[in-house]
Amino acid sequence: MSDHAVQQPERLSPVAPPAATAARRPAAAAPISEDTRLAVEIREQVARGDVDQARSLFSGLVTQHQRRASRIAYQYLRDAAEADEAVQDAFVKVFSHIASYREAWPFEVWFTRILINGCLDRRKSRARRERWFVSSDDGPPEDARLPFGGAGNPDPEARLLARERRARLASAIDRLDGRQRTVFMLCHYGDCSPREVSAMTGLNESTVRVHLFRAARKLRAFLGGQP
Amino acid sequence: MMGWTRHLRDDRLYECYLVERGGEAVDPRAADHLADCQSCAGRYRQLSEFLATIGDEAAREADDLFTPERLQQQQDAIQRKLDVAARPARVISFPGQTAPTHTQPTTRVATRWLAAAAAAGLIVGVGVGETFRPSGAGEPAVSRATAQATTPRTAPAALRVSAPAPAPDANDDDRFLRELEMALQRPQTRELLSFDNLTPHAREIGRRVR
Repeated sequence: MSDHAVQQPERLSPVAPPAATAARRPAAAAPISEDTRLAVEIREQVARGDVDQARSLFSGLVTQHQRRASRIAYQYLRDAAEADEAVQDAFVKVFSHIASYREAWPFEVWFTRILINGCLDRRKSRARRERWFVSSDDGPPEDARLPFGGAGNPDPEARLLARERRARLASAIDRLDGRQRTVFMLCHYGDCSPREVSAMTGLNESTVRVHLFRAARKLRAFLGGQP
Repeated sequence: MMGWTRHLRDDRLYECYLVERGGEAVDPRAADHLADCQSCAGRYRQLSEFLATIGDEAAREADDLFTPERLQQQQDAIQRKLDVAARPARVISFPGQTAPTHTQPTTRVATRWLAAAAAAGLIVGVGVGETFRPSGAGEPAVSRATAQATTPRTAPAALRVSAPAPAPDANDDDRFLRELEMALQRPQTRELLSFDNLTPHAREIGRRVR
Protein backbone atom coordinates (compact mmCIF):
# COMPACT_ATOMS: atom_id res chain seq x y z
CA MET A 1 0.00 0.00 0.00
CA SER A 2 1.66 3.18 -1.13
CA ASP A 3 1.22 6.43 0.72
CA HIS A 4 0.01 8.33 -2.34
CA ALA A 5 -3.27 6.47 -2.08
CA VAL A 6 -4.26 8.66 0.83
CA GLN A 7 -3.47 11.93 -0.96
CA GLN A 8 -6.60 11.84 -3.10
CA PRO A 9 -9.34 14.45 -2.73
CA GLU A 10 -10.93 14.39 0.69
CA ARG A 11 -14.59 14.38 -0.33
CA LEU A 12 -16.15 10.93 -0.31
CA SER A 13 -16.70 9.55 -3.79
CA PRO A 14 -20.23 8.82 -5.03
CA VAL A 15 -21.88 5.73 -3.67
CA ALA A 16 -21.36 2.62 -5.77
CA PRO A 17 -24.51 1.08 -7.24
CA PRO A 18 -26.19 -1.10 -4.65
CA ALA A 19 -26.19 -4.15 -6.91
CA ALA A 20 -22.44 -3.97 -7.39
CA THR A 21 -21.91 -3.47 -3.69
CA ALA A 22 -24.12 -6.36 -2.79
CA ALA A 23 -22.15 -8.57 -5.11
CA ARG A 24 -18.87 -7.44 -3.61
CA ARG A 25 -19.95 -7.57 -0.02
CA PRO A 26 -22.14 -10.45 1.06
CA ALA A 27 -22.73 -8.62 4.34
CA ALA A 28 -25.06 -6.24 2.51
CA ALA A 29 -27.65 -9.02 2.62
CA ALA A 30 -27.56 -8.94 6.42
CA PRO A 31 -30.87 -8.47 8.28
CA ILE A 32 -32.23 -4.98 7.83
CA SER A 33 -31.64 -2.67 10.77
CA GLU A 34 -34.38 -0.71 12.54
CA ASP A 35 -33.29 2.66 11.20
CA THR A 36 -33.06 1.30 7.67
CA ARG A 37 -36.56 -0.12 7.94
CA LEU A 38 -37.77 3.24 9.20
CA ALA A 39 -36.07 5.06 6.33
CA VAL A 40 -37.73 2.75 3.82
CA GLU A 41 -41.09 3.40 5.43
CA ILE A 42 -40.52 7.15 5.28
CA ARG A 43 -39.58 6.88 1.63
CA GLU A 44 -42.77 5.00 0.85
CA GLN A 45 -44.91 7.47 2.74
CA VAL A 46 -43.34 10.38 0.91
CA ALA A 47 -43.96 8.58 -2.36
CA ARG A 48 -47.62 8.17 -1.37
CA GLY A 49 -47.78 11.89 -0.56
CA ASP A 50 -48.28 11.35 3.16
CA VAL A 51 -45.60 13.86 4.11
CA ASP A 52 -46.90 14.66 7.59
CA GLN A 53 -46.76 11.05 8.67
CA ALA A 54 -43.33 10.71 7.06
CA ARG A 55 -42.09 13.67 9.02
CA SER A 56 -43.29 12.36 12.32
CA LEU A 57 -41.44 9.11 11.60
CA PHE A 58 -38.42 11.07 10.51
CA SER A 59 -38.15 12.78 13.88
CA GLY A 60 -37.58 9.29 15.31
CA LEU A 61 -34.69 8.79 12.92
CA VAL A 62 -33.26 12.14 13.92
CA THR A 63 -33.43 11.26 17.60
CA GLN A 64 -31.69 7.99 16.92
CA HIS A 65 -28.77 9.46 15.01
CA GLN A 66 -28.29 13.04 16.08
CA ARG A 67 -25.92 12.46 19.01
CA ARG A 68 -23.55 10.35 16.99
CA ALA A 69 -23.86 12.77 14.08
CA SER A 70 -23.05 15.71 16.34
CA ARG A 71 -19.95 13.96 17.67
CA ILE A 72 -18.67 13.24 14.19
CA ALA A 73 -19.45 16.72 12.89
CA TYR A 74 -17.84 18.35 15.89
CA GLN A 75 -14.66 16.33 15.50
CA TYR A 76 -14.50 17.40 11.87
CA LEU A 77 -15.28 21.04 12.36
CA ARG A 78 -14.15 21.75 15.94
CA ASP A 79 -16.90 24.33 16.23
CA ALA A 80 -20.14 23.43 17.95
CA ALA A 81 -22.30 25.96 16.10
CA GLU A 82 -20.98 24.89 12.73
CA ALA A 83 -21.31 21.24 13.65
CA ASP A 84 -24.88 21.92 14.67
CA GLU A 85 -25.56 23.48 11.28
CA ALA A 86 -23.87 20.62 9.46
CA VAL A 87 -25.99 18.05 11.28
CA GLN A 88 -29.18 19.99 10.59
CA ASP A 89 -28.33 20.33 6.92
CA ALA A 90 -27.50 16.64 6.65
CA PHE A 91 -30.87 15.65 8.11
CA VAL A 92 -32.74 18.07 5.89
CA LYS A 93 -30.88 16.73 2.89
CA VAL A 94 -31.72 13.18 3.91
CA PHE A 95 -35.43 13.96 4.07
CA SER A 96 -35.38 15.92 0.81
CA HIS A 97 -33.63 13.08 -1.00
CA ILE A 98 -35.27 10.18 0.75
CA ALA A 99 -36.70 9.04 -2.59
CA SER A 100 -33.20 8.20 -3.76
CA TYR A 101 -32.42 6.04 -0.72
CA ARG A 102 -31.93 2.34 -1.42
CA GLU A 103 -32.07 -0.18 1.38
CA ALA A 104 -29.08 -2.06 -0.03
CA TRP A 105 -27.16 0.44 2.07
CA PRO A 106 -27.80 0.63 5.80
CA PHE A 107 -29.36 3.99 6.55
CA GLU A 108 -26.48 4.82 8.88
CA VAL A 109 -24.00 4.46 6.02
CA TRP A 110 -26.02 6.64 3.69
CA PHE A 111 -26.62 9.29 6.29
CA THR A 112 -23.02 9.37 7.47
CA ARG A 113 -21.77 9.86 3.93
CA ILE A 114 -24.07 12.85 3.52
CA LEU A 115 -22.95 14.26 6.84
CA ILE A 116 -19.25 13.83 6.18
CA ASN A 117 -19.45 15.35 2.72
CA GLY A 118 -21.23 18.33 4.26
CA CYS A 119 -18.53 18.64 6.90
CA LEU A 120 -15.78 18.42 4.30
CA ASP A 121 -17.45 21.14 2.23
CA ARG A 122 -17.64 23.32 5.30
CA ARG A 123 -13.97 22.73 6.10
CA LYS A 124 -13.05 23.66 2.57
CA SER A 125 -15.11 26.82 2.63
CA ARG A 126 -13.68 27.77 6.02
CA ALA A 127 -10.14 27.31 4.71
CA ARG A 128 -11.03 29.57 1.78
CA ARG A 129 -12.42 32.20 4.12
CA GLU A 130 -9.33 32.08 6.28
CA ARG A 131 -7.14 32.64 3.21
CA TRP A 132 -8.91 35.81 2.25
CA PHE A 133 -10.14 37.34 5.46
CA VAL A 134 -8.39 38.12 8.68
CA SER A 135 -10.34 36.36 11.38
CA SER A 136 -11.77 38.43 14.16
CA ASP A 137 -11.19 37.70 17.83
CA ASP A 138 -11.20 33.93 18.25
CA GLY A 139 -12.52 34.06 21.79
CA PRO A 140 -12.18 31.28 24.32
CA PRO A 141 -12.72 27.67 23.31
CA GLU A 142 -16.30 26.53 23.48
CA ASP A 143 -15.85 24.10 26.32
CA ALA A 144 -14.22 26.95 28.27
CA ARG A 145 -17.54 28.80 28.08
CA LEU A 146 -19.41 25.94 29.65
CA PRO A 147 -20.45 26.64 33.20
CA PHE A 148 -18.44 24.87 35.82
CA GLY A 149 -20.38 22.05 37.33
CA GLY A 150 -22.45 21.76 34.18
CA ALA A 151 -22.28 18.80 31.92
CA GLY A 152 -18.54 18.45 32.34
CA ASN A 153 -16.13 18.12 35.20
CA PRO A 154 -16.86 20.59 38.02
CA ASP A 155 -13.20 20.91 39.00
CA PRO A 156 -11.68 23.91 37.16
CA GLU A 157 -8.19 22.43 37.14
CA ALA A 158 -9.41 19.13 35.76
CA ARG A 159 -11.38 21.02 33.16
CA LEU A 160 -8.33 23.00 32.15
CA LEU A 161 -6.24 19.86 31.83
CA ALA A 162 -8.97 18.14 29.85
CA ARG A 163 -9.17 21.14 27.54
CA GLU A 164 -5.44 21.07 26.91
CA ARG A 165 -5.50 17.33 26.32
CA ARG A 166 -8.38 17.70 23.87
CA ALA A 167 -6.67 20.52 22.02
CA ARG A 168 -3.52 18.40 21.70
CA LEU A 169 -5.52 15.47 20.44
CA ALA A 170 -7.46 17.59 17.96
CA SER A 171 -4.25 19.05 16.65
CA ALA A 172 -2.76 15.58 16.21
CA ILE A 173 -5.88 14.36 14.40
CA ASP A 174 -5.72 17.39 12.17
CA ARG A 175 -2.19 16.46 11.13
CA LEU A 176 -3.37 13.17 9.67
CA ASP A 177 -3.85 12.74 5.95
CA GLY A 178 -7.38 13.37 4.73
CA ARG A 179 -8.32 9.74 4.19
CA GLN A 180 -6.65 8.56 7.37
CA ARG A 181 -8.44 11.22 9.35
CA THR A 182 -11.82 10.34 7.88
CA VAL A 183 -11.36 6.63 8.40
CA PHE A 184 -10.02 7.03 11.92
CA MET A 185 -12.79 9.39 12.96
CA LEU A 186 -15.52 7.19 11.59
CA CYS A 187 -14.12 4.17 13.33
CA HIS A 188 -13.10 5.60 16.69
CA TYR A 189 -15.45 8.56 17.04
CA GLY A 190 -18.40 7.32 15.02
CA ASP A 191 -18.20 3.77 16.39
CA CYS A 192 -18.24 2.26 12.93
CA SER A 193 -16.68 -1.07 12.09
CA PRO A 194 -14.05 -1.23 9.32
CA ARG A 195 -16.70 -2.82 7.12
CA GLU A 196 -19.09 0.08 7.68
CA VAL A 197 -16.31 2.57 7.09
CA SER A 198 -15.55 0.76 3.88
CA ALA A 199 -19.18 1.13 2.79
CA MET A 200 -19.21 4.82 3.75
CA THR A 201 -15.98 5.76 2.06
CA GLY A 202 -16.09 3.43 -0.91
CA LEU A 203 -12.65 2.14 0.03
CA ASN A 204 -11.77 -1.51 0.13
CA GLU A 205 -12.12 -2.95 3.63
CA SER A 206 -8.48 -4.02 3.77
CA THR A 207 -7.49 -0.50 2.68
CA VAL A 208 -9.58 0.88 5.51
CA ARG A 209 -7.74 -1.36 7.98
CA VAL A 210 -4.40 -0.19 6.64
CA HIS A 211 -5.46 3.45 6.95
CA LEU A 212 -6.70 2.83 10.45
CA PHE A 213 -3.50 1.23 11.57
CA ARG A 214 -1.34 3.97 10.03
CA ALA A 215 -3.47 6.66 11.56
CA ALA A 216 -3.21 5.04 14.99
CA ARG A 217 0.54 4.67 14.66
CA LYS A 218 0.95 8.30 13.62
CA LEU A 219 -1.24 9.51 16.45
CA ARG A 220 0.78 7.60 18.98
CA ALA A 221 3.92 9.16 17.56
CA PHE A 222 2.42 12.68 17.57
CA LEU A 223 1.15 12.31 21.10
CA GLY A 224 4.12 10.44 22.48
CA GLY A 225 1.99 7.41 23.29
CA GLN A 226 -0.24 9.42 25.64
CA PRO A 227 -3.59 10.74 24.47
CA MET B 1 2.07 -22.48 15.15
CA MET B 2 5.30 -21.46 13.47
CA GLY B 3 4.63 -17.71 13.07
CA TRP B 4 3.23 -17.20 16.53
CA THR B 5 6.32 -18.00 18.53
CA ARG B 6 7.57 -14.51 17.62
CA HIS B 7 6.06 -11.34 19.09
CA LEU B 8 2.97 -9.94 17.47
CA ARG B 9 3.54 -6.97 15.21
CA ASP B 10 1.76 -3.67 15.89
CA ASP B 11 -0.62 -4.05 12.95
CA ARG B 12 -1.59 -7.48 14.27
CA LEU B 13 -2.24 -6.05 17.71
CA TYR B 14 -4.34 -3.31 16.19
CA GLU B 15 -6.31 -5.88 14.26
CA CYS B 16 -6.97 -7.74 17.48
CA TYR B 17 -8.19 -4.53 19.08
CA LEU B 18 -10.62 -3.81 16.25
CA VAL B 19 -11.99 -7.32 16.30
CA GLU B 20 -12.42 -7.32 20.04
CA ARG B 21 -14.06 -3.90 19.99
CA GLY B 22 -16.53 -5.12 17.40
CA GLY B 23 -17.58 -7.86 19.79
CA GLU B 24 -16.11 -10.62 17.67
CA ALA B 25 -13.72 -13.33 18.77
CA VAL B 26 -10.01 -12.65 18.37
CA ASP B 27 -8.06 -15.10 16.26
CA PRO B 28 -7.42 -18.03 18.67
CA ARG B 29 -3.71 -18.23 17.84
CA ALA B 30 -3.24 -14.52 18.55
CA ALA B 31 -5.30 -14.84 21.69
CA ASP B 32 -3.14 -17.74 22.86
CA HIS B 33 -0.02 -15.75 22.20
CA LEU B 34 -1.32 -12.77 24.09
CA ALA B 35 -2.15 -14.99 27.00
CA ASP B 36 1.36 -16.46 27.04
CA CYS B 37 3.54 -13.48 26.14
CA GLN B 38 3.66 -10.77 28.78
CA SER B 39 5.46 -8.35 26.49
CA CYS B 40 2.82 -8.57 23.76
CA ALA B 41 0.02 -8.48 26.33
CA GLY B 42 1.52 -5.29 27.76
CA ARG B 43 1.78 -3.70 24.31
CA TYR B 44 -1.75 -4.74 23.53
CA ARG B 45 -3.03 -3.22 26.76
CA GLN B 46 -1.22 0.05 26.06
CA LEU B 47 -2.61 0.23 22.54
CA SER B 48 -6.13 -0.56 23.69
CA GLU B 49 -6.00 2.03 26.44
CA PHE B 50 -4.61 4.64 24.08
CA LEU B 51 -7.32 4.13 21.47
CA ALA B 52 -10.12 3.77 24.00
CA THR B 53 -9.04 6.94 25.74
CA ILE B 54 -8.99 8.85 22.45
CA GLY B 55 -12.51 7.69 21.61
CA ASP B 56 -13.85 8.35 25.09
CA GLU B 57 -12.25 11.77 25.29
CA ALA B 58 -13.73 12.81 21.97
CA ALA B 59 -17.16 11.51 22.91
CA ARG B 60 -17.06 13.28 26.28
CA GLU B 61 -15.97 16.53 24.69
CA ALA B 62 -18.81 16.45 22.16
CA ASP B 63 -21.34 15.38 24.76
CA ASP B 64 -20.36 18.27 27.02
CA LEU B 65 -21.21 20.63 24.19
CA PHE B 66 -24.23 18.84 22.79
CA THR B 67 -26.39 18.61 25.85
CA PRO B 68 -29.88 17.06 25.66
CA GLU B 69 -31.36 20.58 25.52
CA ARG B 70 -29.16 21.51 22.63
CA LEU B 71 -30.03 18.32 20.81
CA GLN B 72 -33.70 19.12 21.31
CA GLN B 73 -33.10 22.58 19.85
CA GLN B 74 -31.30 20.95 16.97
CA GLN B 75 -34.28 18.72 16.32
CA ASP B 76 -36.62 21.72 16.41
CA ALA B 77 -34.39 23.55 13.96
CA ILE B 78 -34.48 20.57 11.61
CA GLN B 79 -38.27 20.55 11.73
CA ARG B 80 -38.35 24.26 11.01
CA LYS B 81 -36.03 23.85 8.05
CA LEU B 82 -38.19 21.06 6.72
CA ASP B 83 -41.23 23.33 7.08
CA VAL B 84 -39.50 26.00 5.05
CA ALA B 85 -38.36 23.50 2.46
CA ALA B 86 -41.88 22.11 2.11
CA ARG B 87 -43.39 25.53 1.50
CA PRO B 88 -43.50 26.44 -2.19
CA ALA B 89 -41.20 29.29 -3.09
CA ARG B 90 -42.89 32.64 -3.60
CA VAL B 91 -41.81 34.56 -6.66
CA ILE B 92 -42.05 38.30 -6.29
CA SER B 93 -42.56 40.03 -9.61
CA PHE B 94 -40.92 43.39 -10.06
CA PRO B 95 -42.62 46.11 -12.08
CA GLY B 96 -39.63 46.55 -14.33
CA GLN B 97 -39.77 42.95 -15.36
CA THR B 98 -43.49 42.72 -16.07
CA ALA B 99 -43.17 43.63 -19.76
CA PRO B 100 -42.73 40.39 -21.68
CA THR B 101 -39.37 40.20 -23.33
CA HIS B 102 -40.68 38.90 -26.67
CA THR B 103 -42.51 42.18 -27.35
CA GLN B 104 -39.43 44.27 -26.77
CA PRO B 105 -38.00 44.20 -30.33
CA THR B 106 -41.19 45.72 -31.84
CA THR B 107 -41.40 48.38 -29.15
CA ARG B 108 -37.75 49.20 -29.51
CA VAL B 109 -38.03 49.63 -33.30
CA ALA B 110 -41.04 51.92 -32.92
CA THR B 111 -39.24 53.98 -30.30
CA ARG B 112 -36.24 54.34 -32.54
CA TRP B 113 -38.42 55.58 -35.42
CA LEU B 114 -40.12 58.07 -33.20
CA ALA B 115 -36.81 59.40 -31.91
CA ALA B 116 -35.40 59.70 -35.41
CA ALA B 117 -38.50 61.55 -36.68
CA ALA B 118 -38.40 63.95 -33.73
CA ALA B 119 -34.73 64.70 -34.31
CA ALA B 120 -35.29 65.28 -38.01
CA GLY B 121 -38.22 67.59 -37.30
CA LEU B 122 -36.15 69.59 -34.84
CA ILE B 123 -33.29 70.01 -37.31
CA VAL B 124 -35.63 71.07 -40.11
CA GLY B 125 -37.46 73.45 -37.81
CA VAL B 126 -34.28 75.14 -36.64
CA GLY B 127 -32.99 75.42 -40.20
CA VAL B 128 -36.23 76.91 -41.52
CA GLY B 129 -36.42 79.25 -38.56
CA GLU B 130 -32.91 80.54 -39.20
CA THR B 131 -33.59 81.01 -42.87
CA PHE B 132 -36.92 82.80 -42.65
CA ARG B 133 -36.44 84.81 -39.46
CA PRO B 134 -37.77 88.41 -39.75
CA SER B 135 -35.01 90.98 -39.79
CA GLY B 136 -36.02 92.74 -36.53
CA ALA B 137 -36.83 89.66 -34.61
CA GLY B 138 -33.41 89.29 -33.08
CA GLU B 139 -32.93 92.88 -32.15
CA PRO B 140 -34.74 93.12 -28.85
CA ALA B 141 -32.61 90.38 -27.49
CA VAL B 142 -29.46 92.08 -28.64
CA SER B 143 -30.50 95.49 -27.35
CA ARG B 144 -31.51 94.01 -24.01
CA ALA B 145 -28.14 92.40 -23.74
CA THR B 146 -26.41 95.60 -24.64
CA ALA B 147 -28.42 97.55 -22.11
CA GLN B 148 -27.53 95.10 -19.38
CA ALA B 149 -23.88 95.28 -20.32
CA THR B 150 -23.76 99.07 -20.42
CA THR B 151 -25.77 99.70 -17.26
CA PRO B 152 -24.27 97.76 -14.42
CA ARG B 153 -26.52 97.82 -11.37
CA THR B 154 -23.82 98.64 -8.89
CA ALA B 155 -22.39 101.70 -10.58
CA PRO B 156 -24.83 104.60 -10.36
CA ALA B 157 -22.14 106.96 -9.03
CA ALA B 158 -19.80 106.07 -11.86
CA LEU B 159 -22.57 106.84 -14.24
CA ARG B 160 -22.88 110.29 -12.79
CA VAL B 161 -19.15 110.95 -12.87
CA SER B 162 -18.71 109.78 -16.40
CA ALA B 163 -21.79 111.44 -17.62
CA PRO B 164 -21.28 113.41 -20.75
CA ALA B 165 -21.32 117.17 -20.70
CA PRO B 166 -24.77 118.72 -20.55
CA ALA B 167 -26.30 118.91 -23.90
CA PRO B 168 -29.24 121.00 -24.97
CA ASP B 169 -31.57 118.29 -23.73
CA ALA B 170 -29.60 117.78 -20.49
CA ASN B 171 -32.72 117.87 -18.29
CA ASP B 172 -34.11 114.90 -20.07
CA ASP B 173 -30.92 112.97 -19.58
CA ASP B 174 -30.74 113.92 -15.96
CA ARG B 175 -34.26 112.76 -15.38
CA PHE B 176 -33.56 109.56 -17.18
CA LEU B 177 -30.52 108.88 -15.06
CA ARG B 178 -32.35 109.70 -11.87
CA GLU B 179 -35.07 107.29 -12.77
CA LEU B 180 -32.51 104.76 -13.58
CA GLU B 181 -30.88 105.20 -10.18
CA MET B 182 -34.20 104.93 -8.47
CA ALA B 183 -35.01 101.88 -10.42
CA LEU B 184 -31.77 100.25 -9.46
CA GLN B 185 -32.02 101.21 -5.81
CA ARG B 186 -35.55 99.97 -5.37
CA PRO B 187 -36.73 96.46 -5.88
CA GLN B 188 -38.48 95.75 -9.10
CA THR B 189 -40.45 92.87 -7.87
CA ARG B 190 -44.00 93.85 -7.20
CA GLU B 191 -44.35 91.52 -4.23
CA LEU B 192 -41.42 93.19 -2.48
CA LEU B 193 -42.48 96.80 -3.01
CA SER B 194 -44.65 96.94 0.10
CA PHE B 195 -41.74 95.70 2.21
CA ASP B 196 -39.48 98.23 0.57
CA ASN B 197 -41.87 101.06 1.42
CA LEU B 198 -41.79 100.05 5.07
CA THR B 199 -38.02 99.90 5.19
CA PRO B 200 -36.09 103.13 5.96
CA HIS B 201 -33.50 103.86 3.27
CA ALA B 202 -30.11 105.48 3.75
CA ARG B 203 -30.77 108.05 1.05
CA GLU B 204 -33.93 109.32 2.74
CA ILE B 205 -32.25 109.53 6.14
CA GLY B 206 -29.33 111.40 4.58
CA ARG B 207 -31.74 113.81 2.88
CA ARG B 208 -33.47 114.53 6.18
CA VAL B 209 -30.19 115.15 7.93
CA ARG B 210 -29.16 117.56 5.23
